[in-house]
Amino acid sequence: MKKIRFLFIVISTLTLTMLVSSCTDLTEEPFSEITEENFNPTSEDIPRLLAPAYTNLRWYMACCYDYVSMQEGAGDSYITPSRPNGWGGPYLPYHWHEWTPTHLHVNVGWDNWINGINAANRVLYQVQNLIEVEPDVLAGLVAEIRALRAFNYYNLLDNYGSVPIVTDFLDESLPTQSSRQEVFNFVETELLESIPDLTETVDQSTYGRMHKWAAMTLLARLYLNAEVYTGTERWDDVIEYTDRVIDSGIFELEPDYRNNFVQSNQNSSEIIFVIPYDEVFAGGNTMHMRTLAPEQQQSFRMSAQPWGGSAATPQSIETYDDEDTRLDDTWSGGPQRNPAGDVVIDFTKSIPEMGATQFRHGFRVNKYEIYEGMTASSDVDYPVFRYSLVLMMKAEALLRTNRPGDAATLVSEVRERAFSETDPSKATVSAAELQEGSAFNYGNIDPATFDEENDTIGYVDVQGGADVVYGRFLDELLWEFTNEGFRRNDMIRFQTTSGQSVYTAKRWFEKTPSESCREVFPIPQSAIDDNPNLAQVDNCFD
Amino acid sequence: MNSKIRLLKLVKILCFLPLLAGLSGTVIAQHQISGTVTEAITGEALPGVSVIIQGTARGTATELDGTYSLTAPSGDVTLLFSYIGFENQQIEVQGRNVIDVQMEQASIMGEDVLVVGYGIQRAEDVTSSIISVPASEFRVSAPKDAASLIKGRVAGLNIQEPSGNPTDGTQIKLRGTTTLTGSSSPLVLIDGIPGGLNSVAPENIESITVLKDGSAAAIYGSRGTNGVILITTKGYEGQTRPTITYQGFMDYQQIVNTPDMFTADEYRDVINNQGAPFTDFGESTDWIESVLREPVSQNHSLTYSGGNSQTNYSANLNYRDQQGIFLRSDSEDLRTRVSLNHSIREDLVQVNLNLNYRIQEFFNGSRDDGSFNNSVWRQAVIRNPTDQVRNEQGGWQERPGFGYSNPLGLLNAVEGDTENREFKFDGSVTFNPLTNLSITAVGSTTRFNSLRGYAESFEHRTTTVDGLNGWASRNEDTEVDNLFELTANFSQNIDAHSVQLLGGYSWQEVVFEGFNAFNQNFPTDLFSYNNLGLGVDLQEGLAGMGSYKNSYKLIGFFSRLNYDYDGRYLLMGSMRYEGNSRFGADNEWGLFPAVSAGWRISSESFMEDFDFINELKLRAGFGVTGIAPNESYLSLTSYDYSGFFFNQGEWVQGIEPARNPNPDLKWERKDEINLGLDFELFERVRGNIDVYRRDTKDLLFEISVPVPPFVFPDLLANDGELRNEGIEVALDVDAYQSENINWTSSVVYSTNRNELISLGEGSLRSEQDFIYAGGLGESVQLPTHRIDVGGKVGNFYGYKAVDIDEDGNWIIENAEGERKGWFDIEPDDRQVIGNGLPDHNISWRNSVNYKNFDLSILLRGAFGFQILNETSLFYSNPTQQDFNLLSDAFDPIFGKEVLNNEWAYVDYYLEDGDFVKIDDVTLGYNLSSLPYGISNLRVYLSGQNLHTFTGYSGLDPEVSIGGLNPGHDFRDRYPTTRRFTLGVNVTF
Repeated sequence: MKKIRFLFIVISTLTLTMLVSSCTDLTEEPFSEITEENFNPTSEDIPRLLAPAYTNLRWYMACCYDYVSMQEGAGDSYITPSRPNGWGGPYLPYHWHEWTPTHLHVNVGWDNWINGINAANRVLYQVQNLIEVEPDVLAGLVAEIRALRAFNYYNLLDNYGSVPIVTDFLDESLPTQSSRQEVFNFVETELLESIPDLTETVDQSTYGRMHKWAAMTLLARLYLNAEVYTGTERWDDVIEYTDRVIDSGIFELEPDYRNNFVQSNQNSSEIIFVIPYDEVFAGGNTMHMRTLAPEQQQSFRMSAQPWGGSAATPQSIETYDDEDTRLDDTWSGGPQRNPAGDVVIDFTKSIPEMGATQFRHGFRVNKYEIYEGMTASSDVDYPVFRYSLVLMMKAEALLRTNRPGDAATLVSEVRERAFSETDPSKATVSAAELQEGSAFNYGNIDPATFDEENDTIGYVDVQGGADVVYGRFLDELLWEFTNEGFRRNDMIRFQTTSGQSVYTAKRWFEKTPSESCREVFPIPQSAIDDNPNLAQVDNCFD
Repeated sequence: MNSKIRLLKLVKILCFLPLLAGLSGTVIAQHQISGTVTEAITGEALPGVSVIIQGTARGTATELDGTYSLTAPSGDVTLLFSYIGFENQQIEVQGRNVIDVQMEQASIMGEDVLVVGYGIQRAEDVTSSIISVPASEFRVSAPKDAASLIKGRVAGLNIQEPSGNPTDGTQIKLRGTTTLTGSSSPLVLIDGIPGGLNSVAPENIESITVLKDGSAAAIYGSRGTNGVILITTKGYEGQTRPTITYQGFMDYQQIVNTPDMFTADEYRDVINNQGAPFTDFGESTDWIESVLREPVSQNHSLTYSGGNSQTNYSANLNYRDQQGIFLRSDSEDLRTRVSLNHSIREDLVQVNLNLNYRIQEFFNGSRDDGSFNNSVWRQAVIRNPTDQVRNEQGGWQERPGFGYSNPLGLLNAVEGDTENREFKFDGSVTFNPLTNLSITAVGSTTRFNSLRGYAESFEHRTTTVDGLNGWASRNEDTEVDNLFELTANFSQNIDAHSVQLLGGYSWQEVVFEGFNAFNQNFPTDLFSYNNLGLGVDLQEGLAGMGSYKNSYKLIGFFSRLNYDYDGRYLLMGSMRYEGNSRFGADNEWGLFPAVSAGWRISSESFMEDFDFINELKLRAGFGVTGIAPNESYLSLTSYDYSGFFFNQGEWVQGIEPARNPNPDLKWERKDEINLGLDFELFERVRGNIDVYRRDTKDLLFEISVPVPPFVFPDLLANDGELRNEGIEVALDVDAYQSENINWTSSVVYSTNRNELISLGEGSLRSEQDFIYAGGLGESVQLPTHRIDVGGKVGNFYGYKAVDIDEDGNWIIENAEGERKGWFDIEPDDRQVIGNGLPDHNISWRNSVNYKNFDLSILLRGAFGFQILNETSLFYSNPTQQDFNLLSDAFDPIFGKEVLNNEWAYVDYYLEDGDFVKIDDVTLGYNLSSLPYGISNLRVYLSGQNLHTFTGYSGLDPEVSIGGLNPGHDFRDRYPTTRRFTLGVNVTF
């Protein structure tokens, strides 16, 4: 019977083991995450909770799926051709208007703006439900988040047209698509409702934040493009809201255009809404890496070798007035030197083709200051809205509502600093000039005529710019704002006499006329795959 | 624990089973018996032989000289003599006082007894697919790890060595790809304790057993899906005289192949004759030659062992110094193992203690914190051959270019060291209250620690080009693995019925933690990584540091029943109830049952007429195993700190959700059916055939989810089903035997077919019916593989190139047969263009003994697969102007035009990978009874990876078969080597 006794012992030992709870305890122990139990935010945590809604915007200048490449690359002044190191490939479809719903570089806007909306909805829920906030503080905060969310929706509206509207963080249902008109109405209402509660303060405490003037500029921008989005023009509303920003008296044009783009551009009195970057805390501004040639690493004693890259279309350089200092303040051409004075590379204006180029081909973007000792991340903050944009929006609305004289006054005001050191008389533009066509020599390059020695290239299928309605104004926008992410949008709004957008109808560099459905990007295939409620609407893939 | 001890015990139990029923509690002892036990052939005394009075628990063991004496209750008892590896003998005493016994070695080839999960089993009783390879059949030459030893020996267990890096191990795949995101490495148990394939020195391994099918592995639950490799270390039991064994070898390596790049003269030639826009710097440098060497490595192993019937010990010291084919590439390894066994009161309690310590040190050549920097190899391949090594100032010549560096600068202007330490302490206590019952408690703690340092000197391009003034980092990772297991084994025989019962509990906790820091901008590069705080970029905010810690727990209850009727009908049923902390609270526990049965047809009476059939057994098994995710905390809702936000003039970190939590996360479950046949014919042909089907359900897979409502676009969920089917055949033939010659030949063959049955059947329905995998970097930006529902794992998915146009651009054909120019293609024009997983794997081993000589030859081949030749894709493309190119770059494609297309993923770069390798040839010479106390001496010469017969134009068709992108021959792959080994084994 010993046997049975031992069996008993075994069985009891095993049973005991099972009964001792620590032997069956599988509770997870996270060491470096805030678990649900530990997550008890207070009003002091609000900046941290709000942070993702803002930091999400940092992709605007980031490598390598960025806002600027998307908006400028599809336009007529900026290209990213293939370089000898392989840089450039994925950017070519921007230029050719040949993207597809699986092209990651056109998906990036969707993904990021949706993320921004998600983050905004989340923090909205958190401040309204989880945290005790003083009612007046709460009102301002809710307005700020709603306006920031509207900024993301505005961009979705502009780039993708018909998108889903989601405002409830807790809603787990699959979003359904709204029409472009509905999204327009939503953005308008959100901005109109938040503006009264937004702060009017403009100082360090609101730097990079959605304050009242930023929201008004955004609203004016919405109205500026209203006809594109809804078929109904809203020029008077543009004037109303630009006037309110102008009348605030808070902003003024910097005497030096460059002040808006220098390393310490946070001091610019012209900046209304900005995405702050910092080499240490807020990395990601890689404009200099994308555009400079690898050889220029020595010129600026940079700690990273630039990739090589993005350049001006020869045609856009040819539009500039020789005395316009914005040419040199925006693009660098010709010989580039290292600190010892040796030429490291000599940029030609001409570029032979998109598919295969040398590093030396094409003027590079130097609008955003390239300073000595740069790392791969720039300190330059990205100005989303500048005061000159407000002036130019108002001018455009005036021009389009038969007040070219008033428009010309504003445009001249903006031009003044560009000629102040060369020929101040050229700053003034006349009402008649503003109603002229564009100086842009629209047409395709003829690679066979590429002459590197004389830095020339010929054109075929030349369309010219004479038939662009208010073409001169569109040129003004190029000179003032190129590389700031407005080019695609502006070129869609401006039309030729035949009623097509400049963006689709015109040829430049290798880009040939595209269908009007290219005026919006397709919704990413992955988003459609994941959500059966979504479909391509009014684009080339519906 | 030392399973050899357990094994011995269980053999005894098995032998006693028939008499247990008659166990009696009272004994009147009065008959003296003594005698000597010797080995039947040599006549040598056998110490440690168990001598038991049948029907009782009483007995003794033979002394050092083989003698024994005991007192029996009467002269009318039967004595049972047993010794591991020998046939048991039952002798009726019949009143005698002296009984001398000659023990005969067990006649069955290989193992009479197999190590199975948590125990052992007689080979003839096994009902699952279990293959054991004894040390005598190991591949000897310079094994990378334990798996190297059995390469080509186990059907269905694919072992590749796609890298020549001495710090890289083998790549293992058992019975196809069964998981999409889970780990694919098998569970490795060293004498029952989890470990790595490199934890034990190969010289210390007695046998390696592979549990292939689900019914065998299910006892290990979630860890068993990828198969279980049981490593049994050499055990020393019973009375042995102190023995010293030395094993050592030296080896010499050569690179198997180098890519045929333009030489400097050829480069100038294409500049002049083809108008290639390359730059001629006027020098001639063979960059590949400049980074290579022909290295010599050495390995020494010393074992000391001894003991008596109560206590025995062994100590092993293994030192290995390996040099890679690249300069500075190395690995230095010191492994020690001390083992102690003690038996108390005639095996009533057995205690076993083991101490393992390993230090591995090697060159750490890059910021990636690996070993050798593979980008040295890439840069040597692509560097302009007309460029100079050093510039006029004596520094490394650097040039602008994206991802373009001087390979010798990358190699020499750095200091780096990785030191890995593995300390394992384990022990077991076995309590044998009855001859048929044993209770074992096992405990182990393993600490793996890796400390790395890496620094770039002022000669490095980070200073000469980037002006950083040095860059240095320190990294430390620690893994602590604690295990406790309690098992009980019970067996009973009643008439022809035999029953074995196992029950147990297992608790395991694994904790990972680590620390890392880097800094730059140092005042001097003299201190390399030894004074990180000196770098000024700490103050500038450009230095970095981090630390982490995470853990998981695994708890299991298990039991197994083995039933055997008359040695003819065999039945096994097992169950594991296992919990893993990585799952959602409601899904932590899973049940993993298994059942298998065997029918020994050859033992049936109707088989008596078929004399030539020595053994015939039919097996069938079904088993369920699971896979847990690779990360912890996936089911939890939690928050992380995120990017800095400019708030009121200060930068504050944000807080955002850490992930999309999946509280429903549950076990990935693999069901496997296995049918098998074991046979022995004419006493010279042995083999087994297995057919299996493994269905993995609730596949753990990062599904794409809509944002919103989700926060992130991916969610790890259980979604989909994957099927693998295959056949495995192993055949051993005693081809020729005579007095002086013994020739055996064995063939191992396996074939596997897999299919993704479904995706997105779960509640989180995804529209997507395929998964992309792999990818080509640079501007190609396309995934290389795609697994479609209804399709196979390993399918290459890309453009099918059918022609080239006059401009040198590809013309492709889509699935509909439509031809398109390169600039008109759309993503949907891609199609399945090949598969990277071999359909057939075969190996053939011959070994011949002639007198004192032995020769073994292993041929190994894989058939029915394609390889993506990435080297050719990137370096045969003449549009690339910054690099050196393969010398065929300007050859017309399809005999028509020189390529003028950007880098493209087209099937032109897919090649058939079929190959046959002369994988291993070893010639040995054995001598025994030599002077100076040498009892045995063996000298051998061995060659590895000697020649490959293949049509593949890349370096070596033995490429990676792992993950979801098998068959991709990466251009940065550390090249494989050919190896010649000279070794000697001496026993004193």
